[in-house]
Amino acid sequence: MIRLRSVTKTFETPAGAFAALRGVDLDIAAGEFTAIVGRSGSGKSTLLNLMAGIDRPSAGTVAVGEATLDTLSNDRLASWRGRAVGIVFQFFQLLPTLTAAENVMLPMDFAGTIRPAERRRRALELLARVDVPEQADKLPATLSGGQQQRVAIARALANDPPILLADEPTGNLDSATGADILRLLGELSAAGKTVVLVTHERGALDGTTRTVTLADGRVVS
Amino acid sequence: MIAPRWRKVLRDTFGQRGRSLLAVLAMAAGVFEITTMVHEYALLEPALHGMYARTRPASATLLVDRVSDALVDSVRCMPGVGDAEARPVIVARVRVGPDEWVPARLQVVRDFGAQRLDTFEPDHGAWPPGPDDVLLERTALRVAKVGIGATLALRIEGTADRSVRVAGTVHAAGLPPAWMEHMVPGFVAWNSSLREGGVESAQIRMVVADHPLEEGHIREVADSVRTRLERLGHTVTRVTVPPPGRHPHADQMEAFLFLLLAFGILSFALSAVLVASMMHALMAEQVRQVGMMKAIGATDRQVAGLYLGQIALLAAGALIVGVPPGLLAGRTFAVFAAGVLNTDVSGAPFPLWGVAVVAFIGFVVPPLVALGPVRRAARIPVREALADDPPAPRLGGRRMRGLEGLAWLPRPLRLTLRATFSRRLRLALTVGMLAVGGATFMSALNVSSAWLRAVNDDFGRRHYDLAVGLDQPQPVAAVAAALAAVPEVERAEYWPAASPYLVGPGGVATRTVSLVGPDPGSRLLDLALARGRWLAPGDRHTAVVNGAVLALDPDLAVGDSVRVRLRGRTEAFQIVGIARELTPMASVYAPRADVLAATGQHDDEARSLRIVTRAHDDAGERAAARALEREFERRELPVTGLMRMRDARQGILDHLVIIWSVLAAAALVVVVVGGLGLTSMLTLGVVQRTREIGILAAIGATPTAIARDVWIEALVIGALSWVVAVALAAPLSWGLETACGNIFFKTGLGFHVSPLATGGWLALVLVLASISSFLPARRAARLTVREALSHA
Repeated sequence: MIRLRSVTKTFETPAGAFAALRGVDLDIAAGEFTAIVGRSGSGKSTLLNLMAGIDRPSAGTVAVGEATLDTLSNDRLASWRGRAVGIVFQFFQLLPTLTAAENVMLPMDFAGTIRPAERRRRALELLARVDVPEQADKLPATLSGGQQQRVAIARALANDPPILLADEPTGNLDSATGADILRLLGELSAAGKTVVLVTHERGALDGTTRTVTLADGRVVS
Repeated sequence: MIAPRWRKVLRDTFGQRGRSLLAVLAMAAGVFEITTMVHEYALLEPALHGMYARTRPASATLLVDRVSDALVDSVRCMPGVGDAEARPVIVARVRVGPDEWVPARLQVVRDFGAQRLDTFEPDHGAWPPGPDDVLLERTALRVAKVGIGATLALRIEGTADRSVRVAGTVHAAGLPPAWMEHMVPGFVAWNSSLREGGVESAQIRMVVADHPLEEGHIREVADSVRTRLERLGHTVTRVTVPPPGRHPHADQMEAFLFLLLAFGILSFALSAVLVASMMHALMAEQVRQVGMMKAIGATDRQVAGLYLGQIALLAAGALIVGVPPGLLAGRTFAVFAAGVLNTDVSGAPFPLWGVAVVAFIGFVVPPLVALGPVRRAARIPVREALADDPPAPRLGGRRMRGLEGLAWLPRPLRLTLRATFSRRLRLALTVGMLAVGGATFMSALNVSSAWLRAVNDDFGRRHYDLAVGLDQPQPVAAVAAALAAVPEVERAEYWPAASPYLVGPGGVATRTVSLVGPDPGSRLLDLALARGRWLAPGDRHTAVVNGAVLALDPDLAVGDSVRVRLRGRTEAFQIVGIARELTPMASVYAPRADVLAATGQHDDEARSLRIVTRAHDDAGERAAARALEREFERRELPVTGLMRMRDARQGILDHLVIIWSVLAAAALVVVVVGGLGLTSMLTLGVVQRTREIGILAAIGATPTAIARDVWIEALVIGALSWVVAVALAAPLSWGLETACGNIFFKTGLGFHVSPLATGGWLALVLVLASISSFLPARRAARLTVREALSHA
């Protein structure tokens, strides 16, 4: 499903070049619930960004499903991302001027995969699935952190992507709410989604099917 | 159902009303300027050309010995002549107060109901006038200081003073406004009592049958008519061919339209830079949301389309805000300009081409200008857009060291300035916008000042206060005795003078010129010379001509001969110098002895006087003029004209009213747009530095100190823009001054930078910066630490 070969990512910083990833080889199969762990600065988020097509490798190849990401143009990469992956961020990244339902409808709008007349109904279904149906017409600023993250997960599912990528989804939540979110991701994995979770919390590993540990930009286990 | 992305556009637009309002106002400024200009042009253009053309302006005027209906009929039948009309002219003076007179020019009309050429329309009062009536041009009442029904006292050369009744007013669109010319134009009937005594100059006006705009053809036809009239036994002393199809104030109009266009373009450039800055600001605020949308699948194109849609929405708002006041300002300005040019504006609808121009400017230009910032924002990588810490702005080492060198500044202020200088594009746009505004403002004042300076310089070279013309040459002893009896007079010089006709190519007399014979050693005249030299003692048959003579005969140059026709003879003078004079009157300065010989005057006679008064203020000169009028009248020395140089100077300045109005309007627009721009830029600066402000507040910076730093940032930007504006204003002013001078006076105004404009803009930009920084400074000071630190 997800295949990385000899992936290196180097960033130019004022202090000089910094290698975030060094020759990473990794395969994640369809339906796996994979946790990527490691200390701060180990390259976890960089690895997730490469899988999401948010960033490009300095060397090596990243293939997700049938798509080889480094060969796609920016626009094709964005279109692919909208249909093939759902991304959940630590800070939710909901558009502040759109309601919860509208935030969920937005990826459908950009991808054009679902007929306009059906988008709201699907958005409400998704919000119900993540247990926040009554928040559909509220703006993000009026929701709690946990509710916002649930809306963000509903948004990630908008175009029914086979892959869900979550970058520290519990990092900004209290432990109880964080546990609820992890349970939700587990349910989605159980429903057939390939879920990749970046976390530095040991407790988040419960329920995952695989753990990949990074250290200094390398896969160590 | 509206798609979520467009809902975002609507909510962003209406949710942040202050910012949207600023953007709309910035765009509306450009729409307003263009609408004003287009509407004004659309209203004035037909008024000027259409109305002037409807007066059937004469192609040529022939001055003959006598005129009759039969003679005019015969002219009408001559080859090439389309029509002709007798229009004798009575030159007179009108009394406007005790011992105060202004020149008048009364046209004798054959039939008020069947005018053929140089037509005019009834305005108020009687039509046609009776034998003892006069109809004044509508703008002349103010100059003559009378109303309809009043009696007008007239003094006509060679006759006793007379009185006529002002029976009404007319509108003669082909004549310039009387207040501008300081002269009273009027119309009398064919049977007018004023004609008794043969005081008029007999004139026949004609239009050519074909090619009415070809001056060469008109001259050929007029010359042929002159030859035929001479064969019929008439004397034709002059043939005048005005520039075909040109309104008497066409030069003013051209200078006016040139400036309107030039400042319209400059103001538009200013608005465009402002819109670009605003869009840059808008996109900078939206970077994180762009990242969010791209992360969930939005392509660069979709993101760009979304923001261009928002700009189109703002542009529509700008059209709604900018067009109505633009239409109103355009009409107001057009009515004012029409008044200055003695015409009326019609209710012409806003033209289709104008709609197209305004729609283009309103709808197409903002997205076009915003394309750069929008594309840049749409292309930002998701990782960069969503980064918790945006990339640190780059500040070159030298500038960094420069700021660090200002160790005496408080550190928070240094941080503020560092932030200002590190966002180079934003700083460049803000400084650029203010600099374009400053350059426009300074150029407007520089042109205005150069104009005033040129006029003052020109009149400053005439060291006399009054110019007096006598009806007949009078013994110098008699004139000197009259002057000696007026204590307000300090001294005078007697210059022989006459008004011969300039002999043009082909030996045809064309326009009247002034032939003056000053003493070569005179201390009263010190004209600037564009080429050649001034008259020298011992010169014979030499002359210095002014630029107006060259405008009549552009082939003349130093070394050529200028020929004038006087008393039936043609006199030639070799040109030794070209004088730089602003007066529109063509003047030929020749040695005193030659002018005496040409005019038949004697050395002990005087007809033209230049007088220096003791007091050089308005009241003193006016008192001297009145006393002279009284004294000359008492001694029976008839005066044909007495002009105060102060009035002559004012006459030229009055011609510039319309020009100054454009310059003032341009300056005003700049101040408004510049203020808007600076406010938006500073607001953005505060928004972008919100987290930094929060950190400063968290470590103890007071709201007053934060607000003060925003204010100082505004002052620094303002001062920086002033330096750039001064550099930009110099070439811009030079170009405009040269172009305006050449259009109006046929000579450049000379490069001039007004210290008042330069200093004034510095003061204004600092005031603008202070006012503009008020809202952003207040916003910064009111931010709580929690709000500031949680700002995404």
